[in-house]
Amino acid sequence: MIQLFNWFRRGSLERGLDRELQYHFERRVADLTAAGISEPEARRRVSGELGLTQVREEVRDVWLTRWFRDFFYDLRFSARSFLRSPGFTATTLLSLALGIGATTAIYSLVDQVILHALPVREPERLVLVDWNGDDPITYATGSFNLMPYPICRELQQQTRFLDGVLCRAEIEVNLTAGGDPRPVAAEIVSGSYFPVLGVGPALGRVIEPQDDAAPGAGPVVVLSYDFWQAQFGGAADIVGRKVLIGNHPMTVVGVAAAGFRGVDIGAVPAFWMPTSMCADANLDEDDLLNSPTRWLQILARLRSDVTLAQAQTGLQPWFKAWLQDSTLRPGFPRISADHRREYLATTLELTSAPQGHSVLRRNLAQPLWLLFAATGVLLGLACMNVAGLFLARGSARGREIGTRLALGASRGRIGRQLLADSLLLAVAGGVLGAAVALLAIRGLIAFLPHDLAANALSGALSLRLLTFAFFASVAAGLVSGLAPALHASGGSLVSSLRERAGTGFGGVRLRKCIVTLQVSFSLILLVVAALFLRTLTGLLAKGPGFDTSNLLSFAIAPTQNAYSDADASRLVRRLDEQLRTLPVASSSAAARFAFLTGGAWSNKVTIQTDRRTVSDGIINFNAVSPGFFSTLGVRVFAGRDFDKSDTLPVGEIGPRCAIVNQAFVKRYLAGRDPLGVLIARGGSSDVKPNSRIVGVVADMSYRGVRDNSEQVFFPLFAHDDTGATFYIKVRGAPEQAIPSIRRLVRQDDPRLPILWFRTLDDQVNRSLNTERLLAALSGSFGALALLLSLVGLYGVMSFVVTRRTREIGIRLALGATGASAIRLVLRDAVAMIAAGMAIALPCVAALGRLVQSQLFGVTATDPATVAAAALVLAAGALAAAFIPAWRASNVSPTDALRLE
Amino acid sequence: MPSPRFPIPQGTLDMLILQILALEPAHGYGVAQRLEQISRSVVQVNQGSLYPALHRLQQKGWLRAEWKQSETGREAKFYSLTPSGRRQLAVEKDSWARLCGAVNLIFEEGSR
Repeated sequence: MIQLFNWFRRGSLERGLDRELQYHFERRVADLTAAGISEPEARRRVSGELGLTQVREEVRDVWLTRWFRDFFYDLRFSARSFLRSPGFTATTLLSLALGIGATTAIYSLVDQVILHALPVREPERLVLVDWNGDDPITYATGSFNLMPYPICRELQQQTRFLDGVLCRAEIEVNLTAGGDPRPVAAEIVSGSYFPVLGVGPALGRVIEPQDDAAPGAGPVVVLSYDFWQAQFGGAADIVGRKVLIGNHPMTVVGVAAAGFRGVDIGAVPAFWMPTSMCADANLDEDDLLNSPTRWLQILARLRSDVTLAQAQTGLQPWFKAWLQDSTLRPGFPRISADHRREYLATTLELTSAPQGHSVLRRNLAQPLWLLFAATGVLLGLACMNVAGLFLARGSARGREIGTRLALGASRGRIGRQLLADSLLLAVAGGVLGAAVALLAIRGLIAFLPHDLAANALSGALSLRLLTFAFFASVAAGLVSGLAPALHASGGSLVSSLRERAGTGFGGVRLRKCIVTLQVSFSLILLVVAALFLRTLTGLLAKGPGFDTSNLLSFAIAPTQNAYSDADASRLVRRLDEQLRTLPVASSSAAARFAFLTGGAWSNKVTIQTDRRTVSDGIINFNAVSPGFFSTLGVRVFAGRDFDKSDTLPVGEIGPRCAIVNQAFVKRYLAGRDPLGVLIARGGSSDVKPNSRIVGVVADMSYRGVRDNSEQVFFPLFAHDDTGATFYIKVRGAPEQAIPSIRRLVRQDDPRLPILWFRTLDDQVNRSLNTERLLAALSGSFGALALLLSLVGLYGVMSFVVTRRTREIGIRLALGATGASAIRLVLRDAVAMIAAGMAIALPCVAALGRLVQSQLFGVTATDPATVAAAALVLAAGALAAAFIPAWRASNVSPTDALRLE
Repeated sequence: MPSPRFPIPQGTLDMLILQILALEPAHGYGVAQRLEQISRSVVQVNQGSLYPALHRLQQKGWLRAEWKQSETGREAKFYSLTPSGRRQLAVEKDSWARLCGAVNLIFEEGSR
């Protein structure tokens, strides 16, 4: 590496050498003249002795070593020749930068989500302990690897195989620390959590086994380093401070080590608290030590002398005994003999978990690998195109290279020059690609699902990532430079000098095939992108079915702050009342469940007309306060909205009523008057339809914008309503109304946090996240593939034109017109484009079925969409092919023939 | 006039330079003069090959160089041995001695 250093200070090295040699020269001359030789003669002799030029060259070789020096000169030569042909340089740079950038961006996620081990002691020995099979108590399918707490405790005794066992669960709690209460994500963990992971404190202490010794034993929390920095400004006196979790006072005993963000990359906790305090986190665990509820994940550390398979086999006898034992415990449900057998046949499963446990990883692993493979293919195509462009350029430089060979340059030397070309280009492309990647990663992360518990994904370029980008660039450079380099150094010298516009068409057919495939590939992607784009615009144009302008919503969950159901209901009613009188609110209403968040309250419905029917599908329910429909601007088609008369005192149950939407009427009450019909939630035979339909409203979206399901609304204040989302139509800008609404809630209960504040415009946007992600991903992939196939087409056509210059020249000399030359070249291109489209169209039809379920308002084979995509592709492709064709038509016959 | 001196054997120049500089630091011209004196004009050193050798030895970390006033009052680049250069000299002397011994042994064998 000293050579590299020398390269950068070669100026000062040269000056030093000059002075040194000058000194030698003059001393020698002085000595010789002193010995009586005339000065000119002395100078001549010394020059002969020293051989200054030769000495300088040899010393330079010492500094840089020969190949290194040559390589740098090659790079300089390459850089100059690139600057001379900016069009070529820009095209190749762009395709490499996009290819490398896309690959690096996806790799960043692959690395962070899938590959990166937890920053804990010996993460490779961590295993996830899972219960393989259904259990009859909760019928948990194990999709979240949930386990009951008692197992964790007993597993800790299995020290023959395990070096420690921890359990943890993700929770959301209301935290009050000084200012306003707010909801935060946290991790509730066993006392063994920190010791087993080997994570220490940055300040104070971590949670220790005695905090978790018995229920209620340790009212302590340990803050995460990031949360401590962000929320408490890294206050040094944080240890010993009291905070409120819900309504329960807890003491901050420490801050965990910096860089440790829990065991789930997709859910970063603000703090940790011991499982002994689960009652304080409002988890319904009356009997923590014996409860069979599966609510935690268990991670264990294997003993260093035990393999995963040994531990798994070794633990089964113990687990069998535990299962047997558990059936005898009080509270074990009565189950059939079959069920019992199934239960006893379940096993314990260990899987290696150096990256911890993450739902995000489970959901994203497969799509990420797929995306990574796709970007890899794109990068490969980009390399192939650049190789094609190089070949086209190389054949134009054939004479130059031939001349250099004739003058004595070695073939290796020429090949190396061409490799230097592509390496320089690729590394420059890599630098640009890193910038592209930076933008792309941020975009991708923004699209990932995120709720309260933010994910720990970082959009920054880490050293790992830069290393990856560098190796990707060098690989791309080698791949795209190898073909031209071999081509240049492999041809016979005589033929390359004799060959003017020769007949050597080697590899052109293969490249035409590749370009054809690229064209079809990009047409498929373009069609898919167009479909997703139309879906997104269609959904945006459709809207949620209500007027979102100036509409604001916020939610509260008072039971999380230890409200009784009746008190919670009173609070919701009170707030609803007060919000209506706020000067900034033109109207206001509340609903039990929030709209457009993906979830819904749903069940079958029993309908009593002249006969009793049960809905064949699931109906979505909500309970809303009087004035809800007018606040949202939803039309009431028949009957009436809810009013005061539907409201019952807290805790009282009386006559009920319901409002249904048009879709419900159309499907289940077609042709009859819906008003007065009795319905009820549930489809079993003991359900009594006792809610009278009093109104019919227009359809509106519930789970998401796409959703126009059958819906039934009940009056909000006829039950105990334990939580609510408020919808407020405000005067003026929604953001300006937020402080006064916040003040109103705080006046009522300063400890009650507002879960979220959102404008409905924002909510609509959020609910379209998946659609937007699909449109953006397929759009950028489509654009990338299109661009690459155009570059590929351009490259291969340029190559062909250069090769046929002489033939075209002769044709022109014999009287062919320029237009006919253009036609000659374009004919080739059109054949490739047409073939590509012919391949793509059946694929589009086949793939269409796969994406159909994701589409809205457009079929997968929509002729207009396919035609538009094909048109874009054809126009671009013809333009790309036209440039070399135009060059062909401008071949001067005399020049082309004089080359002979 | 045919030169009575024979050219320096391949690879021994480095060793000689190290030996000269082991006595005292010197500049390039000084090393050249010293080489001539020490070898009593028996060994012929191509003056041009001296500088690549000096730079090579410096790059290997066996020599260090600094600009100092020379005996004529002008600034000259003086080379001196580093500790690792000193070790290298010992190694080379040792292997040279063994080589000479081995060659002598063969010659004596042949002349017997």
